Amino acid sequence: MSTTPYRKWQCLACGDIYDEALGSPPDGIPAGTRFEALPDDWLCPNCGALKASFVPMDD
Amino acid sequence: MSDLKIPTELVAPIFNPASYADRQRMEKMLANLRHNYPLSQAEVPGYDPHWIVTKYKDVREITRQDNIFHSGDRSKTPASLIAEQMMRDYSGGKPHIFRTLVHMDPPDHTAHRDLVKDAFMPQNIAALETTIREMARRYVDQMAGMDSTCDFAGDIAMNYPLEVVCTLIGLPKEDHAIMLRLTQWFLSYADPDLCRPGSVLTDPEEQIKTWQIVYDEFKSYYSSVIKDRQACPRHDLASTISNGKINGCPMDERSMISYFVIASTAGHDTTAATIANSMWTLATKPELLARLKAEPALIPNFVEEAIRWTTPAMCFIRSAAEDYELSGRQIKKGDLLYISYLSANRDEEMFEAPYEFRLDRTPNRHIGFGYGAHICVGQHLARLEMRLLWEELIPRLESVEMAGEGKWQESEFVCGPKYVPIRFKMK
Repeated sequence: MSTTPYRKWQCLACGDIYDEALGSPPDGIPAGTRFEALPDDWLCPNCGALKASFVPMDD
Repeated sequence: MSDLKIPTELVAPIFNPASYADRQRMEKMLANLRHNYPLSQAEVPGYDPHWIVTKYKDVREITRQDNIFHSGDRSKTPASLIAEQMMRDYSGGKPHIFRTLVHMDPPDHTAHRDLVKDAFMPQNIAALETTIREMARRYVDQMAGMDSTCDFAGDIAMNYPLEVVCTLIGLPKEDHAIMLRLTQWFLSYADPDLCRPGSVLTDPEEQIKTWQIVYDEFKSYYSSVIKDRQACPRHDLASTISNGKINGCPMDERSMISYFVIASTAGHDTTAATIANSMWTLATKPELLARLKAEPALIPNFVEEAIRWTTPAMCFIRSAAEDYELSGRQIKKGDLLYISYLSANRDEEMFEAPYEFRLDRTPNRHIGFGYGAHICVGQHLARLEMRLLWEELIPRLESVEMAGEGKWQESEFVCGPKYVPIRFKMK
């Protein structure tokens, strides 16, 4: 099991935040799901931007 | 039944601002369209044909593809053939009088939105919490001093978000009323109580005449603001817009004035509509207030559901830039599409019991702020304003009920309650 701290990722289009620690269980994404593990066709649930529109918030 | 053409008598009210005063009737009509005429065509005399888009999945599919479904080629709100011609005449051949973010397509839209985008990111908006909470508390104090009755729409809901956004822009308090008045002339041009004095509401040219006047009034007001901020920039939105560069060049005049127009109108009107309707909802569903008082952690859910419930931006128009197949329909290049956000936010295929106001609707994937690259840039500010108001008000609000009949605006675009008479007890 990875010991790397969970990160938050932000959609540059709308500001929505994907928190790896929380995931998104109602959307079938369990808590602890790393951003990189989200499917390539995953979209921002708030605005529909592509996964590539997200950047890590700690950079 | 899934006919391609919607009977004119059924769909015509969608283009008539007066229809929106009867919210229940509009909701029924949209449900009928959604169930029996999903993605079908309206041919209403005086208007070009429109595809009427009522399903949540269709609205999202369209609005996340700006390259295919344009915002800048035709009127962004329902406009008659006469109105479209007048806009072209007034603007030197352009399809709009205003040139706001709403009316742009990429790459113009992206470049203009980038100007303010960072300021409206949640982490930057959060820094305003102390200031906005103080404003919210002041309006709650004002309400507490009102002897148990008020028109919550006119007394509180319209003024609080107005003060927030005008403060962010950097406008003096004495000018806030000007912004409210121009907003109402602009967005409620057809409402007999809110329209520009002297409007002739039976005149088919009235909408565009009013918009020309509104544009000129805003230009007259903001010209001195722009000059001031260019000479002496401050830490406010007016300075950001006045000194904004697009691809390294100063913004053109129409875009700059329009930027101020959208900040000064959309920056508060939709939030005011949602706040007013939230109170109307509390006043008619006492169990909601009781639960929020017992569980204040549900206030963000209340805000989110109130946005879905109100959906203050009824619609936008898009035009197809190329042929496209959508839900089995052949959309042709040049076709117009009427995007109904209100209907999408009632779509039974997306929302369980959509006509119930549910605090436990999570996740609440409404599209009250839109969807795609055009999603409301001020959404996080709006959420913050509403959360803070209810966090301040609900603990002090002991009871609330309607003290008369509420009234919705007569507006086919941004629409909310214009009158919410309440009787209340506060501590």
